[in-house]
Amino acid sequence: MKILVIEDNVELLKDIKNFLEDQGNICEIASDYQSALMKAVIFPYDILVVDIMLPDGTGLDIIKEVKKENIDVGIIIISAKNAVGDKVNGLEIGADDYLTKPFYLAELNARIKALYRRKAYKGSKEIIFNEIKIRPENHEIFVNDRLMSLTKKEFDIIHFFVANRNRLLTKEAIAEHLWGDHIEMADSFNFIYTHLANLRKKITKFGGKDYIKSIYSVGYKFSD
Amino acid sequence: MNLVNRTNKYYLIFFIFLFPLMVAVDYYLIKYVVNKEVDEILIHESERITFSLNENGELPSSSYLLSITPIDKDFPVLNNKSRDTLIYQAYKDKLVPHRTYDFGAKINSKKVKISLKHALLEMNKLIIWLFVTTTLIILLLVVGLFLINQGIYKWAWKPFFENLSKLTNYDVTKKSPVQLENSSIAEFQELNQIVTVLMDQVRKDFQNLKEFNENISHEIQTPLAIIRNKMVLLLESQNLNKKELQWVQTVYQEANKLSKIGKSLTLISRIENQEFTRLDNVDVRAVVENIVSNMEEMIAFKDLKMDVKLNPVTMKCDLILINILLTNLIKNAIQHNHERGSIKILLNEKKFEIVNTGKVSKVETAQLFNRFQRGDKTKESLGLGLAINKKICELYGFQLDYGYHDEKHKLSLGFNK
Repeated sequence: MKILVIEDNVELLKDIKNFLEDQGNICEIASDYQSALMKAVIFPYDILVVDIMLPDGTGLDIIKEVKKENIDVGIIIISAKNAVGDKVNGLEIGADDYLTKPFYLAELNARIKALYRRKAYKGSKEIIFNEIKIRPENHEIFVNDRLMSLTKKEFDIIHFFVANRNRLLTKEAIAEHLWGDHIEMADSFNFIYTHLANLRKKITKFGGKDYIKSIYSVGYKFSD
Repeated sequence: MNLVNRTNKYYLIFFIFLFPLMVAVDYYLIKYVVNKEVDEILIHESERITFSLNENGELPSSSYLLSITPIDKDFPVLNNKSRDTLIYQAYKDKLVPHRTYDFGAKINSKKVKISLKHALLEMNKLIIWLFVTTTLIILLLVVGLFLINQGIYKWAWKPFFENLSKLTNYDVTKKSPVQLENSSIAEFQELNQIVTVLMDQVRKDFQNLKEFNENISHEIQTPLAIIRNKMVLLLESQNLNKKELQWVQTVYQEANKLSKIGKSLTLISRIENQEFTRLDNVDVRAVVENIVSNMEEMIAFKDLKMDVKLNPVTMKCDLILINILLTNLIKNAIQHNHERGSIKILLNEKKFEIVNTGKVSKVETAQLFNRFQRGDKTKESLGLGLAINKKICELYGFQLDYGYHDEKHKLSLGFNK
């Protein structure tokens, strides 16, 4: 998929670009209002990732312009302001999702993929990873075509892993994905550890391979 | 004691001292003047008698004549003095105060002392009247001053008291400046000017400080995001030895902590700024149910026994804030619990109450709601959750109470509806 990332901090922009390109996307970048607006209006993208605060304008105006031109594109706002007003404004003028800085790149990636699937396939597309098949709209996961019974959080973990396959997911990133922003859960890491152990067992019981690898004590990676 | 009462008190004290003084002064003054006047009349009479005696040797008739006494020697020149004396008046059958005047003369070559008299009766009455009128004047003065004082207090001080009540309600977090009442009195005008300047300064300082805090919280987020991303790249690179890995991991964790602090402080300052003005019709029961179901796996993981009794409650407030508040409370009950413990949640129109098993807190209850205060320092929490809760409660006037009984923590949130 083709993504335009609009962000005024060049270093962060590079991180996002590298991460998304590693996931097999085409990623273009813009670091100011003028060039961003030009690219967003002229070239076709699947997803726009828009920072609100730009040196010469606001990302909200870019979104308004894109919507005025009737361009069909998924839009995710990234902002350091953490202001609910911004979030509400952004979603009202037609953005699809909102992430507060600092976000985990894995989280941004998962959101982009989910948004793309909603837009391009109306959410009906199955995600397939070897013998694992995910139906996001029904919260169902099949291993070797057999439906696994999972709790909501277990489903979220696998979905998050598959969306970010081959990448290191830190425990912090997983915890924030599962419980959201303002929660500091001391027990969450133990919880993740135990649940991943259970999930491994479940998947191997269904004849699946153990893809979840523990990376030191930092986090996990889902890979062949 | 307020100003008018204090002023009146001093006026009263002043008049209490002034009154006898005035009466005494008046009394002696008038007595002196009257005596002098009477003396003059008597001296004039004595001169008339002396003149008549010298001219034709006859004693003229005089209504002032009291007595004529023969004397041996010459009447001493210096001795012709006036005196106060009491003389018996037969027609009144009592002693009446008189002024007498003695002088020497010769009648038919015989030396005599002639005494003249003048009644002082009317003068005494005058003094009594004087006393009465002085009293009246002073009373009128007291009453008049009291009334004028009250009037001044009501009229001239009115803007002062209005300003006072305005300043009492002054809130430095409000952006609008206080408009002070104008007064025609120079001192009050000056006071208003000074207070206005002071308030402006305080407000400016407060705003600057607030903006600084907010900016810091915002501005650190992007650098932190970059630090975090680079640390993940380092961790993924797989070229690190075990020690280096630990260092990177520590940096990563601390960056995360910093970011959470920034986010929490931003949230607190935004609640303080009253940026959450939405009044949603919040179904509190649904919010609680939603949070509990979101924590379901965690509850099962810790094997906690849940006892949830929820009555339907709706409230006008910001959904996001009420969600943060209740999430924090429920999350704490799970976090500060031990395995196979229990949680009891109660919700009704009056309050939300959560009771959970857990270790006793080492921090005083009052301090528990301060920033960076933790009940249990060993855990990975930042201690900002309760400070956020406190701010939300202040915003909506909720009453947050904490207690520890029978090895159970009890937090109750009174809605004050």
